[in-house]
Amino acid sequence: MKRSLWLIVAAFFAASVAYADIDPNKEVIPGVKRGDTIIVEDPTGAITNPDSFNIWTCWAGGNGGWSHGLQQLGLDTLWLIDPDSGLPHKGEKDNTWHNSLAADRPAYNKDFTVMTVKLKKGLYWSDNVEFTAADVKYTVETLAQNPTALFGPQFKTDVKSMTTPDKYTIVFNLSAPNSRFHRNFTVRWNACWIMPKHRFEKDLKSATDLMTYNFNPPLSLGPYTLKDYDKNGRWYMWERRADWAKTSINDFGKPVPTYVMYQLDLPNDKKVIAQTNHDLDMIHEVTPEGIISLAKNKWETNWFQGFPFGHPDPTLIAILPNNARAPFDNKDVRWALALSLDITKVALASYKGAVTLSPLHYPPTGTSKKYYFDPMQGFLKDLSIDTGTNKAYKPYDTTIAAKIGDMVRPQFGDAVPKDATRLAAMLGQGWWKYDPKAASDLLIKAGMTKKGDQWYKKNGEQFKITLFNWGTGNPTLQRLGTMVAELWTAFGIETTALSAQDNGTRYGLGDFDVNMGWNIESWGGNPDISFFADSMHSRFYTPVGEVHNGRNQVRYKSAELDNILDKVNVSDFNDVGKSAALGLEFLKLTAKDMPTIPLMSYNVMSSQDNTYWTGYPNFDKPYANPVTNWANSRYIFTQLKQMLPPTK
Amino acid sequence: MTFKHVFNKNFGKYLLGRVGQTIMVIIIGITITFIIPRLAPTNPVELKIQQMMVSGANIHPEAIKAFREAMNDIYGLKGTLFEQYVNFWSRLSRGDLGPSIFSFPRPATDIIMKAMPWTIGLLLSTSVISWIFGNLLGGLAGYQSNRRWTKWAELAANSIRPIPYYIFAFILLILFCFVWPLFPTMGAYDPGMDEEWMNPVFLLSVLHHTFLPALSLVLTGLGAWLLGMRALVSNIISEDYVQYAEVAGVKKKTILYQYVMRNAMLPQITGLGMSLGGIFSGALITEYVYGIPGMGQLSYRAIVGFDYSLIMGVSIFSIVGVSVAVLIVDLLYPIFDPRVRLN
Repeated sequence: MKRSLWLIVAAFFAASVAYADIDPNKEVIPGVKRGDTIIVEDPTGAITNPDSFNIWTCWAGGNGGWSHGLQQLGLDTLWLIDPDSGLPHKGEKDNTWHNSLAADRPAYNKDFTVMTVKLKKGLYWSDNVEFTAADVKYTVETLAQNPTALFGPQFKTDVKSMTTPDKYTIVFNLSAPNSRFHRNFTVRWNACWIMPKHRFEKDLKSATDLMTYNFNPPLSLGPYTLKDYDKNGRWYMWERRADWAKTSINDFGKPVPTYVMYQLDLPNDKKVIAQTNHDLDMIHEVTPEGIISLAKNKWETNWFQGFPFGHPDPTLIAILPNNARAPFDNKDVRWALALSLDITKVALASYKGAVTLSPLHYPPTGTSKKYYFDPMQGFLKDLSIDTGTNKAYKPYDTTIAAKIGDMVRPQFGDAVPKDATRLAAMLGQGWWKYDPKAASDLLIKAGMTKKGDQWYKKNGEQFKITLFNWGTGNPTLQRLGTMVAELWTAFGIETTALSAQDNGTRYGLGDFDVNMGWNIESWGGNPDISFFADSMHSRFYTPVGEVHNGRNQVRYKSAELDNILDKVNVSDFNDVGKSAALGLEFLKLTAKDMPTIPLMSYNVMSSQDNTYWTGYPNFDKPYANPVTNWANSRYIFTQLKQMLPPTK
Repeated sequence: MTFKHVFNKNFGKYLLGRVGQTIMVIIIGITITFIIPRLAPTNPVELKIQQMMVSGANIHPEAIKAFREAMNDIYGLKGTLFEQYVNFWSRLSRGDLGPSIFSFPRPATDIIMKAMPWTIGLLLSTSVISWIFGNLLGGLAGYQSNRRWTKWAELAANSIRPIPYYIFAFILLILFCFVWPLFPTMGAYDPGMDEEWMNPVFLLSVLHHTFLPALSLVLTGLGAWLLGMRALVSNIISEDYVQYAEVAGVKKKTILYQYVMRNAMLPQITGLGMSLGGIFSGALITEYVYGIPGMGQLSYRAIVGFDYSLIMGVSIFSIVGVSVAVLIVDLLYPIFDPRVRLN
């Protein structure tokens, strides 16, 4: 009896091991072998309108599809900027810039009222119809007639007319001078994708039919075509085009995987389980706890090949005080809030120390080190503020990375480098000092008093803050907000962290004290600040109570900033030196004024399994953003190596 | 007991009253569901704009303004609340819930109908299975409380009962998808299959994928029914009429099924009715953990996305489901309980 019981148990284990076996010959879907397929995560969540591939409507990004391969593999536009260092390719010295459908960079006339674009020849849609300037013109004209289409209202106001002097040239006549009009066709995360005129003209009776059109099956201008998809919106399978060389990916070489499968709707625990079972090659993002668990495996890689794991996204997490509401309208109060934070505690509470800090109003990622963070070190070290008791108080602290390194070394051991330069490159070159004394001085300078252990405002009211925090959907950042609230409360400012669904709406209306979030996202690979800063110009300023239509919900207003943005608007985007110089002016101004309190980049804990595929980008080989929902992730597929080709 | 016996004049009055009550509950429930999301300080248009802003799209401030106006128009959010309410009932009377706001222009009804079979399939079967086996075991455990197996069954039920169903779902997931990966981690059926409910291969695949979520729901549900029935039976067996029947030499089987369990069934039937009515709102966390495309996930997404049409659709099914289930249970009472027949 006992023996047979053991036999049953042994058979059960043997069966389970067999089930978990790595098998390049097993089918992912009928006719598609695992060894030929790379399985990647799209974090969108299950799509409730899975049959629609119409990326041009505003509904595409919600529970409709957008990043399930459509923008990464199926569609294309004029230019792409890589958020990291990019790959070398023909015709460009700057690896981060890719002339994708365009043959060259955008060419403007002197007063930026005309933009001329030369297009590449020999690019074909997946039905073997050639891509031409007529497709671009049709796209802009169709969108301009649909006010609820993405880019529609922009094209309606910005484009006066268009001409196509030949099949491969398009000229945009703009309604007003605009040196950044090409931004509409330049991918950072996405951009305006080009429509196949011949297909849309056949399917749409009028331009407004676009809003109810499914574009199914989608025509592809990218290197892959849609092979199959789940009618419940949980996975999408793309197949490499036989004529992939007739697409712009040809500048980088052949995409290696025959198939790319996007898996949607995976909770954190399932991502970890699926990758451990070798059923998910690329995880877009997982919690810090998840990546710590995955990183124990030899087959796993991540951006830093160990601590601090995550890829610093060109998105800046910041504390966003309401500059239009007292006492946050006072620079001294904002500085006091910054200096009363022990950033090491914030780093540990949120990302378990795996952070890339930024004292600047700019995400510390991509090429920003070269353009901004290195050149700004001297300024930051010399920067002094008047605390009331010390007219030349120097707030910058370059020892933060070392402190965090010492704190996390007991957990992560040798994975935390001891070399100060490498550690600073990982965790950030510095942040503001934790100095409650200087913070107190600043509050006193702002007219506040401390009674007992609580701060009181000039008018005698207790200084309390309601902090709009992240919700449970992002536990890492929710912990960050909670720690900020705890630190301010400990300093004597009673702070309540509030995670409510209407936080976003109240933030837009200016009905808030302090919000947690981001209002600055950079190109990553290019120093131009217009991407995030143009709507901070005072001509778009809206008073409290009216919804702000841009990124300046903190309602910061500065003549100096207007001056910088005006200069940006009449500068040549292609003059990177000029862009960087203007960016430095912006960073110096905001470092002094502290309209928001920048904390760190949004670190995306992406993880890759090297069992079936290898060659993913990382910190030492930063040729692309490893985050799978970005359109730029298409480049990764050209750099991979197939490890286990199917044998049958 | 004859048909006439049960469905007498009193029953007619009882029926009319209960049907009237049910209709009122449904109308009030739907009205409240219509009003609540519209009282929130945000709306789907603002949510959409925020979503576009944080997803990295760069939109010109003036373009956002134009976009907002056009979207309010398209979503029908321009009229007064009363006008929207009247429009809503007029559409509902034609069986039209309108397009989903976040999956525009797909009709909300279409999305709900796609999710419904999954939820009904999972929750109806697990509710009924756990109810039948839970009550049967609970009845036996209460009646034969000195047997060894009943003690073990009670111990097992007591151990599982306090575990929330979603924690149990995670435990099963970790055990059977990770430690011993016998079951798939993703989806409700194998990728590449068409959703053909009459195809046995598809059904087998669904069974393979939904076995663990079903097991988690059955085991946690079964524990609750077992303990409830056991407690009821323990009380009933000490009643005079049961003891008299035993003394009179009535067969044990007859005593158990006809005297004891039949009397203990009334609250259990009410419970079953309520739980069956509630299945329309789905089992959110189980569906989420196992990737089942059912109503739970759908309602969650509808709420966080302020998708008014979907919220209304899911709520209507839920309100009608619970109300009708309660009505059916009320109508079944006269069959089981002679006191109701006598008003």
